[in-house]
Amino acid sequence: MTALTLPSPAPASRRTRWLLRLHRPALCTWAALVLVLGAALLWLWGPLTDAAAQAWRQYNACGLTARCSYDQAAILRYKDLYQYTTLAVLAVPFLTAAWAGGGLTGRELETGTARLAWTQSVSPVRWLATALTVPAVLVTAGTTLLVWLHRLVWTAGEGRIDTADRWYDILTFYANGPLTVALALAGLVVGALAGLLLRRALAALFTGAVALAALWAAVGTVLPHLWPSVTRVTALGGDGPAGAGITVDEGLVTAGGAHVARPLCGIGAHPSCAEAYARLDAVGYYRDYHPRAHYWPLQLTATGLLAAVTVLLTVAAFWLLRRRTATAAVRRRGTA
Amino acid sequence: MTDTAMEAAELGKRFGRRGGWGLRHCTFRLPAGRVCAVVGPNGAGKSTLLALAAGLLAPTEGTLTVLGGEPASARARVAFVDQHKPLYPQLTVAETLRMGADLNPGRWDARTAERVVAGGDLDPGKRIRALSGGLRTRVALALALAKRPELLLLDEPMADLDPLARHELMGSLMAQAAEHGTTIVMSSHVVAELEDSCDHLLLVGGGRVRLAGEIDDLLAAHTRVSAPAGTSLAPHTVVTSRTTGRQLSAVLRPAGPLPGDWRAGAPTLEELVLSYLRNPEAPAPTELQETTA
Amino acid sequence: MVAYRIDRHSGVATYVQIVQQTKQAIRLNLLRPGDKLPTAREVVEATAINPNTVLKAYRELEREGLVEARRGLGTFVRRSLGAAPADSPLRGELDAWAVRARAAGLEREDVAALFSAVLEQHFAHHAGERAQHEQHEQHEQRDRRDQRDRRDQGGAS
Repeated sequence: MTALTLPSPAPASRRTRWLLRLHRPALCTWAALVLVLGAALLWLWGPLTDAAAQAWRQYNACGLTARCSYDQAAILRYKDLYQYTTLAVLAVPFLTAAWAGGGLTGRELETGTARLAWTQSVSPVRWLATALTVPAVLVTAGTTLLVWLHRLVWTAGEGRIDTADRWYDILTFYANGPLTVALALAGLVVGALAGLLLRRALAALFTGAVALAALWAAVGTVLPHLWPSVTRVTALGGDGPAGAGITVDEGLVTAGGAHVARPLCGIGAHPSCAEAYARLDAVGYYRDYHPRAHYWPLQLTATGLLAAVTVLLTVAAFWLLRRRTATAAVRRRGTA
Repeated sequence: MTDTAMEAAELGKRFGRRGGWGLRHCTFRLPAGRVCAVVGPNGAGKSTLLALAAGLLAPTEGTLTVLGGEPASARARVAFVDQHKPLYPQLTVAETLRMGADLNPGRWDARTAERVVAGGDLDPGKRIRALSGGLRTRVALALALAKRPELLLLDEPMADLDPLARHELMGSLMAQAAEHGTTIVMSSHVVAELEDSCDHLLLVGGGRVRLAGEIDDLLAAHTRVSAPAGTSLAPHTVVTSRTTGRQLSAVLRPAGPLPGDWRAGAPTLEELVLSYLRNPEAPAPTELQETTA
Repeated sequence: MVAYRIDRHSGVATYVQIVQQTKQAIRLNLLRPGDKLPTAREVVEATAINPNTVLKAYRELEREGLVEARRGLGTFVRRSLGAAPADSPLRGELDAWAVRARAAGLEREDVAALFSAVLEQHFAHHAGERAQHEQHEQHEQRDRRDQRDRRDQGGAS
């Protein structure tokens, strides 16, 4: 008799297989994106970096001679492709958020296919667990690869290409480290949550991407304060505050040692500026900043913070789904 | 195994924190092995009730027991077909059925699935998105039947079907009920569609259960009468009454023998349902629900 | 084997239609003692009516001693019905009468009306009414029995 066969939930492997089958176009797109972008980064890392470095050597060897022959096209090609690939790597979190909101949860709830899944012996909680875990693994793997390749490209160009981005240039800072992987994962959860909340594919697609942008902006705002900055004081005159890296704050140091804002007066050597500085009793410049040694501490603390936020959002997504649908809970005793 | 398929006590579902109640004060019991018609006008709460039973919604108040436990823990033993027959459009018919087999391990009856699908001359290699509404209904029903559920919940299952397919699929449903003792609960706003197939009735109107019980008992408890206009119908409980010219016609629950000069007859199921829907104030026959419980 | 045709607009209860059609088949020797009635599953699959309706009809036939349910095997015809098999003298007389009626210019409807009027006059008792009356007495036991019967029927299919 069928009533006596114990119902067992479908094993995770089968749920995974069907999730991949249902999202085959997205899976193929992701694979193609990683392959093409990876290939572009490898091309950039090898031939293009070499050609651009060679061109820069030629250019620098010219000195002040009027006629100089160097491969300007190689330099521009490198610069363009570096920029495009960096932007492409940074677009990954947005793509993930938009897809998770639109394709993963929003559309399923809009068309009702989520209900179909929930009545095929797959509980809503298990459904969401699979829908988040499998893409999370794929997104982490792909994004980690891309970020690693990007870092490889940047390292290869450093010191050889005069116009190469500095480590603290904002796009390069993100594209070179694990923070982008964390952002991609956060995008996945933010998008999925937007889909669960809005239950509309298109609305969730945009909301997911916009919410990720807001999250990114928030991370960008707190990031410089996640690690103690160093302060460098320099004498008045010259080019103003010094210290290459991520600037947190800068201004004037008074004779009493206080840090005050710098009046808007152009460069310090200008007479009107000198007058203003004298009025403030300024004796030097200061700059609070993060030197290169802070790159990893900043990346890792920000990644940790973002991971914590992602976990909270994941919990919120499960909570929302459990609250909305019937869940077999510890409540069982109470309702019996 | 329990002899109760579904039991609700003061069940209520509100949509949104300040939204309206889709269903409220809903109390009934459905014995196992019944084919139950859930009838009522559109928006009466039929879909909400079925979704609650399928564990797709959590109740706001009250309790609902399905196959002796919570709806969520009965998931593997309950099948549900949504009103809109959602299916994954990118899958083929064959893939959809394979998915059903994979996600319902230990229960899947591939022969039933194939039989239901074959009746519609369906090409298994065809994608769901290319199917007509009627064929999609067939695939959705195949998924639900092949799961061999103990409780089969169908929300407006026949709406997209032509009369021939309707008769054939209703036959398949009844065969499942006869063979496996499956309890079937199906909603419709067309009473005539369910009259021959159902033996139990749940009349939902305005978010409340208006009438619940065995159809035979409900019909036997009510009488359709015609009497001269102005006749007092007391002490009988009047469901509806209407005076046309010199004649008063009413549907009532007799409290005792009826006067001999009234013309009395048994109402049809449709007449009974309509009489309750026409008069939202008509009291539900509580003693009936208790005797069937 | 008998195939039931359910007429939803006849005004006759569905289970009564099954009872009548079964009796008709027995009367016309289409079903003979020892023959198996279709299982509830077979009937409901073809007619889309409720299984309990079929079981109710079969119980009525069983109560009248026309059929017997054998657990796990199905429902079988126990005895024949009526003193007028298809080739009896009574049938011959009716046949001759019909020929005369036709020769007298009667239409099919006229004959049918005449026949049912005579039928009403001589056979006022009606199986359907009797069954309706007894329905309530049986009611209490029904819940449990339906479940059991249904499994027996299902198993036999």
